[in-house]
Amino acid sequence: MHTSAWRKKLISQKCLGLPPLAYLLIFFAVPTVIMLFASFRYAGDYGGLAPWYYYEQGSLSFDLTLENWQRLFESDIYLQLFLKSIAYAVLATLLCILLGYPLALMIARSPRRHRDLLLLLVILPFWSNFLVRIYAWMIIFSPSGALTHMLNSLLAVFGIAPISLMYSPTAVIVTLVYVHLPFMVLPLYANLEKHDPALLDAAQDLGASRWRRFWRITWPLSLPGVYAGSILVFIPVLGMFAIPELLGGTDGIMIANVIKQQFVESRDWPFGSVLSMVLTAAAVLVVLLGAKFGQQLGHSR
Amino acid sequence: MKRKNRLLKISALGVYAFLYLPLLIVVIYSFNDSKLNAEWVGFTWKWYDKLFNNREMLTAARNSLIIASASALIATLLGTLAGMTIHKYRLKLLPGLVIAPIAMPDILMGVSLLLFFIMLNMSLGLLSITLAHITFCIGFVALSVQARMSNIDRSLTEAARDLGATPWQCFRKITLPLLAPGILAGALMAFTLSIDDFVITFFVAGVDSSTLPLQIYSMVKIAITPEVNAISTLLMLLTLILITLVAKLSPGALRS
Amino acid sequence: MKNLLAAVALITVTPLATAATQLHLFNWNDYIAEDSVAAFEKSCDCQLVQSYYSSTEEMMAKLLAGASGYDVVVPTQNAVQALIKQSFLQPLDKNQLPNLKNSDPGFMNRSYDPDNTYSVPYAFTTTLLGYNEQQLQKLDIATNDWAVIFDPAVLEKIKGKVTVMDDAEELFGAALKYLGYSVNDRDEKHLREAQQVIMKAKPYWAAFNSSSYIKELTVGNIWVAHGYSSDMVQARADAADAGRDFSVNLALPKQGAVLALDNMVIPKDAKNKALAHQFINFMLDGKVAAAVTNEVGAGNPNAAAAEFIDAEIRQQTAIFPDAATLATLETIEASGSKERRLLNKLWTEIKVK
Repeated sequence: MHTSAWRKKLISQKCLGLPPLAYLLIFFAVPTVIMLFASFRYAGDYGGLAPWYYYEQGSLSFDLTLENWQRLFESDIYLQLFLKSIAYAVLATLLCILLGYPLALMIARSPRRHRDLLLLLVILPFWSNFLVRIYAWMIIFSPSGALTHMLNSLLAVFGIAPISLMYSPTAVIVTLVYVHLPFMVLPLYANLEKHDPALLDAAQDLGASRWRRFWRITWPLSLPGVYAGSILVFIPVLGMFAIPELLGGTDGIMIANVIKQQFVESRDWPFGSVLSMVLTAAAVLVVLLGAKFGQQLGHSR
Repeated sequence: MKRKNRLLKISALGVYAFLYLPLLIVVIYSFNDSKLNAEWVGFTWKWYDKLFNNREMLTAARNSLIIASASALIATLLGTLAGMTIHKYRLKLLPGLVIAPIAMPDILMGVSLLLFFIMLNMSLGLLSITLAHITFCIGFVALSVQARMSNIDRSLTEAARDLGATPWQCFRKITLPLLAPGILAGALMAFTLSIDDFVITFFVAGVDSSTLPLQIYSMVKIAITPEVNAISTLLMLLTLILITLVAKLSPGALRS
Repeated sequence: MKNLLAAVALITVTPLATAATQLHLFNWNDYIAEDSVAAFEKSCDCQLVQSYYSSTEEMMAKLLAGASGYDVVVPTQNAVQALIKQSFLQPLDKNQLPNLKNSDPGFMNRSYDPDNTYSVPYAFTTTLLGYNEQQLQKLDIATNDWAVIFDPAVLEKIKGKVTVMDDAEELFGAALKYLGYSVNDRDEKHLREAQQVIMKAKPYWAAFNSSSYIKELTVGNIWVAHGYSSDMVQARADAADAGRDFSVNLALPKQGAVLALDNMVIPKDAKNKALAHQFINFMLDGKVAAAVTNEVGAGNPNAAAAEFIDAEIRQQTAIFPDAATLATLETIEASGSKERRLLNKLWTEIKVK
């Protein structure tokens, strides 16, 4: 009797989880595998993919190639592009920490009744449409806009030639930070609110200065939150194409732009798949590293 | 301590300003009586007027709503099942598969789904977009449900079982009502995410199917008129309402 | 009861009726006169549903990735070639096109579609330079020369104020012409030379832009744009309408340029073939065809349209090239997959570096 009830429970467990599992396997895992497979095929003459097998005279022959992967290593421009994209992502992440930390800290230290509202205020811009947020910065950076005029008049005072904010890596980085800031604030806050204020009080009683209290107590304790937020910023930034495309000009291109270009304009889907696989590998690596770091920090407490 | 608090408060307020100012500019200029987003000329409703007469925009809006409703519905069903399963049982595969679409950059999902649909010779359109949206919405619903479940007092269900209720009765009368805010919050989040999605939709949308974000994108690329500001303002308003609802229903859901 | 049935029948039939009379047109941006759209809708008592694209690549990618539902498409001649090869197009029923006689024979029976089995000329554009007259005059830059966008010495003066098309065939075509080669030259050595020219000029350009350069020119953010003649005409009109303190003009570089002949075609899986033919015939009428030129500023391959075209447009050689200029213009031919892969590879390298 015990075993049949236990088996019933097992079956119901499987039944419960099966629909979502099946759906995600079909629409997430399988397409990823297909993408890997596509990287070994030839591009179709007019877009899409060329057939991967031919059935001629009763025999099956395959039409696969390593040429797309070879192209990746032919010259170092793709490596440079990846490094540049990673650099942008690192810079954006650091800026997010710089801007997001004070905000998270303030919310965590506010009276409990205010916290939900303050958090909501942080989340709201994030939930506005992604393109709208980019568009807002296109207005701000516009060469005929107020900001550029002000900046250039200031530069003119120092005798520096006028610059354009639009179509530059600067515009890309600022917008990247703007769009992803809430991703940093939330995990940081989640960590900071758990800090025991008694620790800080004790340190103050022992005579530690404000700065020392922060640096020796708050910061180390918040590191897991910093890492969590960093991953949540770093990975999406690495895969961004819309922001560099609309604001980056000829210079601020990231790896996702080249991927998009392969699928839309150049119609070289296999090569696009190659680049996508590399991006996937990079993202997975970052997540695993982050998980490992997080674990280590957890252990050293 | 007081001085640091003020410095902290000021820098925090500065960041809030940084977050909201650009959006305010978009909203304000949607009422600007000038084709350019440069100087303020005068107040007008004409961009909103033009918007509602724009056939393509209205079709895109209709598509977005249809897709979002369908995606939210199915994702909520699947996500709730997933959330409950993850919470109850120590699984490895399901949590991974649920979180992965959220963790990975959107472009990868968009591209791989495009390849998938083309390989199946499926025509790209509302259906392909909906299927794609469900995939990443499941995760959010699951997280919301799971967070909610961990807040439900186990002793309630145990007490019910002790009193002789079957698992199904237990679920229907106790678990489900308690879970409801979490499920609803997840559904609303899924709906919002679906309406806002750009990157994935960009790759799997067919020819006849434009959604609001795709419409905005082509408007931004081709001819930036303040109509874009108008539609942006309306979208922000919609999102504001939806997310405030979520916050009221299930404060913990948003943090996950 | 009878009334109820009649009402139900009416309700169920009417949506079907309106659904049937929709013509789906896939066309370049801003490439049809608004009045023509309204006039056609009136004459056929139907609805014209338009979708747009801003590059041939985009159009091909969409059509051949399985997009269906278009009744009439307006591809450029090399795309027509590719579509014919892919057996994508429906042969036209000339009996339904009495206005075909209006078409200028000089633009018919071309190599990409002999006998015009599948396509009918719609309009043509050249890819040239649009520029801010006042700024370039001030800097004393000759505008009928590709050097404006390729020569670093010239670019130095207009750094950050230039955009070029985000289109491999167009930009390479311009660079090849600048070097004295044909736009269809796919010799790797020549292509790499062209790539070098592009790379040297790239740091001076603001952006690769195929879609919003009209606006950028009109607003004054950009002083030189590489783009289609019809777009530049629009920019010129827009700048005048907006009362700007500068004017926009267009110039065809002396080294030659790309000529694009756009055609109307019907995909095989079009739903309303009869209506599609009706539309094509409508557009072949002299007056309607002239409207495209007058409003859009594109060149016109329709002989009967000549008398309806505004005089000042008729005289501008950049839009209506004379024989001498016509000799320097070339159409892009569809290239084989190997050449396309090479071009794509070089183009990606340009974008990445």
